Amino acid sequence: MRPPLAPLELGELLRVEPLALATAVHLPDPARPVHEVVLAQTFDRLHRAAPHSLVVLHDEAATGGWALAAALHAGWERNVSAVVVPEAAMSSSSAVLADRLGIALLVISDEPVDVALTLAGQVSAPQAARALRVALCAERLAGQSSIRGVLGVLNSELAPLPVALVTGETVVAGRAAGAEEKPDGATVRVEINAAGRPWAELVAALPAKSTAAAGHVESVLRLARLPLLAVWAQTRMNSSAQAAQEQAAFGLLRRLATEPAGTGQALLPEVDVPSWTGELGWRVEGRNRAVWISPLQDGDGVPADELTQLVRAAWQRHRPDWPLVADSDGWISWQNIPDSEDAADGDASGAVAMRRALGSVSRAAESHALVLGVGGAHAGVAGLMRSVTEARLAAHVARDTGPGSVQWFDQVGARAALAWLPRRQIAEVADLCLTDLMGARDREALVDTVLAVLDCGGSLSQASARLGVHRNTVLARIARAKELGLVFDDPSWRLALHVLCYSLSSLWVSGRS
Amino acid sequence: MTTRYVGAATTIRAEDVPALYEGAKFYSPAVSPEKTTLLSWTTSLLERNGPVTLVRPDAIAPETRCAAICVIGSGAALADLPPSGDEFALAVRELERLTRRRFEAVYPLAAATVSALAPLAAAAQLDLPLIDADGMGRTFALIHHTAMHLAGVSPTPLVIRGVTGENVAISTPGPARADTLLRSNVDVMGGWAALAAYPTTTGELRRAALTGTVSRLINVGRLLLESGDPDVLVARLAAVTGCRRIGRGRIVELEHLSRPADVTIPAHPSSVVIDEIGGQGRLLRLELRSEVVAVFADGALAAAAPDLICLVDVLHGELSTLDSLEPGDLVDVLVMPADAVWYSAEGLAMVGPASHGIPLPHPRRR
Repeated sequence: MRPPLAPLELGELLRVEPLALATAVHLPDPARPVHEVVLAQTFDRLHRAAPHSLVVLHDEAATGGWALAAALHAGWERNVSAVVVPEAAMSSSSAVLADRLGIALLVISDEPVDVALTLAGQVSAPQAARALRVALCAERLAGQSSIRGVLGVLNSELAPLPVALVTGETVVAGRAAGAEEKPDGATVRVEINAAGRPWAELVAALPAKSTAAAGHVESVLRLARLPLLAVWAQTRMNSSAQAAQEQAAFGLLRRLATEPAGTGQALLPEVDVPSWTGELGWRVEGRNRAVWISPLQDGDGVPADELTQLVRAAWQRHRPDWPLVADSDGWISWQNIPDSEDAADGDASGAVAMRRALGSVSRAAESHALVLGVGGAHAGVAGLMRSVTEARLAAHVARDTGPGSVQWFDQVGARAALAWLPRRQIAEVADLCLTDLMGARDREALVDTVLAVLDCGGSLSQASARLGVHRNTVLARIARAKELGLVFDDPSWRLALHVLCYSLSSLWVSGRS
Repeated sequence: MTTRYVGAATTIRAEDVPALYEGAKFYSPAVSPEKTTLLSWTTSLLERNGPVTLVRPDAIAPETRCAAICVIGSGAALADLPPSGDEFALAVRELERLTRRRFEAVYPLAAATVSALAPLAAAAQLDLPLIDADGMGRTFALIHHTAMHLAGVSPTPLVIRGVTGENVAISTPGPARADTLLRSNVDVMGGWAALAAYPTTTGELRRAALTGTVSRLINVGRLLLESGDPDVLVARLAAVTGCRRIGRGRIVELEHLSRPADVTIPAHPSSVVIDEIGGQGRLLRLELRSEVVAVFADGALAAAAPDLICLVDVLHGELSTLDSLEPGDLVDVLVMPADAVWYSAEGLAMVGPASHGIPLPHPRRR
């Protein structure tokens, strides 16, 4: 914190009345300290003003014309911080002269004596003036309803210091200069946590001469945390418009990643992260692991809006810091793993975090008849898109194991191909080709058994272990299946029958649910 | 070239009158006397009566009695109500009657503007020598703003005579009261009058008046009549008058502000702002009353009354009068030191910047 008796700066005085009402005709350096206030009635008094004083002109010294010009010159000679002059004495040539001499010139409409007395009070008690200023700032911050608005208040409050809202390396809002390190200066950072996790940072870069103000800057930035979170949460709550916006934004992101298609899929193209991603609360730098959520039943494309709302609400409850975007026949979310020195470590801890996260949402997923697929962790925007594709494949596979189930892409592998089979049509084939089998009451046990035997490469013992029945039972069922037409001894038929059994089995699994 | 520069003691002939008049205008640059009838009338007087002897006060017997002459009142009134011609001579005669002594010489109260012509005309009419000295070396507003007053010579008894044939004689122990009394009488007489005042001797004048100011007018006037190039003009004027150029610039603003005027001299304060071209690119601010009373360069007082400050129109190579200034004009700002007596503490108190409501130390006294 800055020492309690550090003098007020001109910029600070300009934020509270009476100078908040003044017009700054020329303000070369708002960071100039103000050590005292001089009420100058005569030029004699003006010529005795101490450096860094704030001079308020009245009476003889404030008659305008030459008087103001001479006062500006005297102020310049005495190195005063600013000259405050009543409106009546102001003229355009005085503004030009103030600019030429590089001296701050403020015009007031109130009685100069009153103004000077109030200012003297403020200058003699800098902490009180600062507290008042912080209170006014808090009031203004509370009135903002957008991230841009909050940053606007911060930037006008702390001017000329630039303030930026940064997620990762991306400036989301505010002035980009705030995120740039100054050679001898300092950087004030205030982390903003959403649901206990870092979401973004407010960053202000202080030039070397202003480092003393770091404490004050930090307290103002801290003040902005809650309004920012509130604004952010509010935008996330605002469902339908938000959903449409996020969907469009994700589409745009996807196009960014796929447009330079010439580079090939193996080499993930480098895509600059657009700043609007941060404004939506998304983080895509570093490595991303996507989660695909889809209804258990393969519906007719886009899920119902109501379902989207339910999923969003569930997600909000369990994973408020993860995005949720409706996309074709499901929903996308992703986990962002910041770049660390050891990517493998990062991925491992990311995977642990993901497992924990999915554990908490799986109950909700089960009650809404949803399944989840998890993609691999890949870097950048393009990596995110790849992970999304992987997660979607995994989710298809997860459908086989009922509602609330979670499938990880790296455990799915080529089996994902099976998930894309048109199982209904294949089952229709069974109705036509294997009429006897389909008419049997124990058909499910028969098909499951044949499938297990085929899966196990013909090993009856392995199949019996998998099914949890005696080897003889397996043998008996196979014999019965063959009687009913399910003959898989012919190699040219074996693949087709294997697929048929798989389709029937998986359909009956979902049917049983 | 018929240039004939006037030395310490010589004569003023009819052909010298235009140069005298031009120089007289230069020493009071704020006002622009109309092409006054006084000019042609004085010229014809000198043609008829012969040249007037111009003599320095130390070149004449110290007991020589003399009186100061000038036009008091406004130049505009002088144009409206032309002189009948005998006011100046009759004012001197009336003062002689009051003091019961003959005058053997006359001198100008202020060697500037039309008041420089009036004593010449009176000297021609009365056949008296004109003394090459005056009380101001330029013009000041009030009758007691003279070197003689500073040296303890009383302005009264004095006489004014109007075109209407009326005389007013004033005697007062307080010189400042004399001016107040005069002004109301001048108004009644029609706005202007011929003044004969400061009756004294040349011996006193040696001590109290400013010597050589009449011949200076003629010399300066010749320069002004000859030269058209502003740079040549300024260089020559500098050699003769000690003037210097503060800066050259373009007028960017004329301000007419209702600011508290000073109490002694009635005039409406206004300002001219000039953006200096070249040099340091300063912002020059001229403070105007009935003349230019101060120049601020970037807010610092660069010159102030009693310095004589005038503007030269660069395009035309001639003096600019204050009523002719327009934004966009390119002008040189010249400043000329007044006579040393005006920079004494008493002189500055009387006619310095503070007397015009500018309570700053004079730049020549810092």
